[in-house]
Amino acid sequence: MTSDKSFYEFISNGVPGPEQKVDADNAIMPARKLAFSRFKELGLPTIKTEEWRYTNVQRFLKDAFTLAQEEQATVTPEQLKAASIPQLDSYRVVLVNGRLQTDLSELPAGGKITVSKLSDAAGNAQLQAWFDKHPHLQSQPFAALNAALFADGLFIEAGVNATLDKPIQIIHVYTASANAFIQPRHLVVLHKSATLEIIESAVGLNDSAIAFVNAVTEVVLEENAELWHYNIQSTIKNSRHIYHTSATQKADSRYHHFNFTLPSAELTRNNLSVALTGSNTETNLHGLYLATGTQHVDNHTFVDHLVPNCNSNELYKGVLLDDANGVFTGKIHVHQDAQKTNAFQQNNNLLMSEKANINSQPQLEIYADDVKCSHGFTVGRFSEESLFYLRSRGIGEEAAKSLLVNAFAFDITDQVHIPALQDFLAEKIRQYVAGAINN
Amino acid sequence: MLTIKNLHAEVDGKKILKGINLEIRKGEMHAIMGPNGSGKSSLSSVLAGRENYTVTEGEVIFEGKNLLDLSPEDRAREGLFLAFQYPVEIPGVSNLHFLKTALNEIRTYHNLPPLESKEFLKLTKEKQQLVDFNANLMNRSLNEGFSGGEKKRNEVFQLAMLDPKLAILDETDSGLDIDALRIVAAGVNKLRNADKAFMVITHYQRLLEYIVPDFVHVLYNGQIVKTGTKELALELEEKGYDWLKEEVHQKESV
Amino acid sequence: MRNSNEIIDDIANREYEFGFTTDIEMEMAPVGLNEDTIRFISAKKEEPEWMLEWRLKGFQAFKKMQFPKWQHFEMPELDLQKLSYYAAPKKKKQLGSLDEVDPELLATFEKLGIPINEQKALAGVAVDVVFDSVSVATTFKAKLQELGIIFCSFGEAVRNHPDLVKKYLGTVVPHSDNIFAALNAAVFSDGSFVYIPKGVRCPMELSTYFRINAENTGQFERTLIIADDNSYVSYLEGCTAPRRDENQLHAAVVELVAMDHAEIKYSTVQNWYPGDKDGNGGIYNFVTKRGICKGKSSKISWTQVETGSAITWKYPSVILQGDDAEGEFYSVAVTRNKQIADTGTKIYHLGRNTRSRIISKGISAGLSDNTYRGLVQVGPRAANARNFTQCDSLLIGDRCGAHTFPYIESRNSTATVEHEATTSKIGEDQIFYLNQRGIETEKAVALIVNGYAQEVLNQLPMEFAVEARKLLSITLEGSVG
Repeated sequence: MTSDKSFYEFISNGVPGPEQKVDADNAIMPARKLAFSRFKELGLPTIKTEEWRYTNVQRFLKDAFTLAQEEQATVTPEQLKAASIPQLDSYRVVLVNGRLQTDLSELPAGGKITVSKLSDAAGNAQLQAWFDKHPHLQSQPFAALNAALFADGLFIEAGVNATLDKPIQIIHVYTASANAFIQPRHLVVLHKSATLEIIESAVGLNDSAIAFVNAVTEVVLEENAELWHYNIQSTIKNSRHIYHTSATQKADSRYHHFNFTLPSAELTRNNLSVALTGSNTETNLHGLYLATGTQHVDNHTFVDHLVPNCNSNELYKGVLLDDANGVFTGKIHVHQDAQKTNAFQQNNNLLMSEKANINSQPQLEIYADDVKCSHGFTVGRFSEESLFYLRSRGIGEEAAKSLLVNAFAFDITDQVHIPALQDFLAEKIRQYVAGAINN
Repeated sequence: MLTIKNLHAEVDGKKILKGINLEIRKGEMHAIMGPNGSGKSSLSSVLAGRENYTVTEGEVIFEGKNLLDLSPEDRAREGLFLAFQYPVEIPGVSNLHFLKTALNEIRTYHNLPPLESKEFLKLTKEKQQLVDFNANLMNRSLNEGFSGGEKKRNEVFQLAMLDPKLAILDETDSGLDIDALRIVAAGVNKLRNADKAFMVITHYQRLLEYIVPDFVHVLYNGQIVKTGTKELALELEEKGYDWLKEEVHQKESV
Repeated sequence: MRNSNEIIDDIANREYEFGFTTDIEMEMAPVGLNEDTIRFISAKKEEPEWMLEWRLKGFQAFKKMQFPKWQHFEMPELDLQKLSYYAAPKKKKQLGSLDEVDPELLATFEKLGIPINEQKALAGVAVDVVFDSVSVATTFKAKLQELGIIFCSFGEAVRNHPDLVKKYLGTVVPHSDNIFAALNAAVFSDGSFVYIPKGVRCPMELSTYFRINAENTGQFERTLIIADDNSYVSYLEGCTAPRRDENQLHAAVVELVAMDHAEIKYSTVQNWYPGDKDGNGGIYNFVTKRGICKGKSSKISWTQVETGSAITWKYPSVILQGDDAEGEFYSVAVTRNKQIADTGTKIYHLGRNTRSRIISKGISAGLSDNTYRGLVQVGPRAANARNFTQCDSLLIGDRCGAHTFPYIESRNSTATVEHEATTSKIGEDQIFYLNQRGIETEKAVALIVNGYAQEVLNQLPMEFAVEARKLLSITLEGSVG
């Protein structure tokens, strides 16, 4: 526990180091140790750190945390249901604080797709090959901390040509009886020509203590693999989240990532990065953040074009209500060899209240000449003209506003290819906007 | 004026032109017709010197000079003009400034002094009226935001301004409504004279009702497979290209 | 036909046109930077005590500061102790007319094509020439005096208009703003001062030509322009420097103050020596330029054409304090060989209904790096603020870099901020089209680049625009095959 000591001190000297971790055969122990020294060297970011200039993470680390936490919890069917997507036919994977609960789960069986505890897969060659190897994680202090001291997580592997009849829904349950720093770690590997749909959602069970989640997911798409990856971030107020999702795409692969940040975690920081290491890939990054109260939502995305002929397309939209704080930083890096790159990025924001604010940094860093790249940013409020039009047709102000927000978000939700999920999101957005407007 | 002998060309290793032979003399109007993909536009590109085409065999003599040895700009300066099928847009470069630069480059090549602004504007006005070109488009950026018809009319206006010896019109009629087509054709007809030759590339006979050719050549599979007069165009309009294709295949199989 | 590599090599090898030096006897300060240096400069300039004190405050701030680390290039090691901080042509007496100016110097201006002669006077250009930091000739003073306009060297202003200088000096760029501004505050040698009284529209473009001549000197000029209520002024600044193997530092400060309904238009064509093709020598152009729209409905507009310097690192900024105030930034930055440009603007929307517009066109060739970095900040009071930003990058060749780093901070829900950026290269089809009309590739590129930069060049006063166009053509002629 800390309180007078800084979080950095606490981690560096106050907790058992990575060598205390008991992984099945310790195959990843060297990587853990390396990560720990990397963390110590990097230190924790301050607002003077360029990538954190708009998110004062120190403020969220002042409380005393413990790294020890519940490995199981009583999850009622009602609680599970709250985090489930109605009408969605899917496999179900339930984790409590990052630990797979097989009794609550419904895993795909007998096929080429396996879902297991990361700790059980410690001897797996894929895990050894990919664990903490993503180049973009190397400079991230929280990712290093996660690699060094993570408790457990998921390992999902899809074999060559593997495909599933329905999506896998992963429900992350977070619970803490005392302020806890929870570190799940996941690895998803799709082998050649495999296809998978993953939907992640989260639920917080206990708001008497703070759950600080520092999660890392590494994604590997081998040649011609395709992953639809949905992440729905909607938990309780007393939770703070830092996510790193880092994907590696080999030739001809397709990665579709959707990120929905909804109320009401105090802090959400998403680091989404994609390294394109093979040609002719397709990357679609869609994000919607809808923040209310004093929520702080920070999306950092990074698309790294290393090779020629890749296409990336990014659209992030934000709706900020009340006193909410939004941050968007999107970077497109086109390396000298990455000719014929098409890379587009757009970030649009709607400020719905006087006190909400947005900080945005869309960045292009380009070293190849035969490319098409662009980025765009807008912030504004919805058109008074449209609002008036709707009201003159007899629609009440709240309903009209809600309608306009939904219309604004439509570009994102429309890209969701699962109807049940699409409906679920539309309904969530409607509820949150109505709640905030009525406030 | 222009002699093409056994011209073979390829692009990215794919053979496109497979032995073109053609003779064009002063004052003549030649129409090149043919089905899609027969090599019509490739022929114009090779003559104008587009870089991605490689000539593998044959020669082209233009006004006594070996055309294929010249850079694209020198071909233009020697008097070869290509009206593009898809004229490019160049933002920020005004039509007028562009034309003045082009005209004076060509004049310098022929050891003529550059045109004074006054003379240039006079010439511009004269040619605008001749080909019925909207003066409002003169100060706009080159082709930027022009409609399809406006772009094609700009090509004909440039043709009038630069006064080449041989003008190649590459599908100038495609995408034009009948009114625009009439205006474009009228412009071309006004520019016809005993010293100038034209090569009109088209997919449709319609254009040839307005611009009457002296010769019609049918291009198929990279070769000129038939040559005739304007009646050939009518025949093609009626029967399509299939009968010709069959004829060619029969010949090949013999 | 020549291939693109040959053409690129050709421009890379093209020599810097203005790389000659002038042999004039100089009076220089001893090498090194300490309090004595500052006292030396102040004494040389016969400054009053308050000026010296302000300089020393700047020096105190400077000593506590470090070079920033956020830039997108490798910061060269600068040894500020090896520079001399004061250089002035030795023959120094009050000059009344051009005839009294050193003929060598006039010959230099002639080579630069500076509009200092009578014909240019008829064209309506008043020139304050700053030669190695000291103003030697100011023309058309009389005519401006009639209107109550003050246009003089900074030193003169300190002597003759101390109240105005005291009132505004450091109010826009404080002595401790950043390390280079602090350095400038401590050691600035001269510069220009402009005051436009209430209701006066300055009838001619005011122009200053800066030129670094002496070896091992930094140029630290300081410009202060105040436009009082309902006034207007257009100010031009042009820069060249001779070719030398070692690097030279240029750390100028420009402060603009616009009162109610006043407008200041500030144009720069910067053509400092960029170094040779291997990146040896060249000017480090680290300049702090900032304007404040203090009054309501005031307007400040920055236009810059940047083709020179080894490293250009500057962000002409506007603080929109008055309601309905307007800020503009138009920029063309061209880099080639190993040049680096990290430039852009910062616009602070503080007042209500404030508007800003940013148009930036970067062109990179060779092994150069060209970065747009800009901040648009909308404060909580800035109801209905509007910003539009367009950043375009044009790449010539595949060994250069183009980067766009905008920072957007909006704290008011009624504000509208739009940012667009694109990156492209010169299209082969565009070149071919122009070739087919008889225009050779070199000219075609110049034409396309000028067209690309048109929106910015249009903002320049006529005479300057012609020069800028020529500069762009010379700089980039034929860099595409």
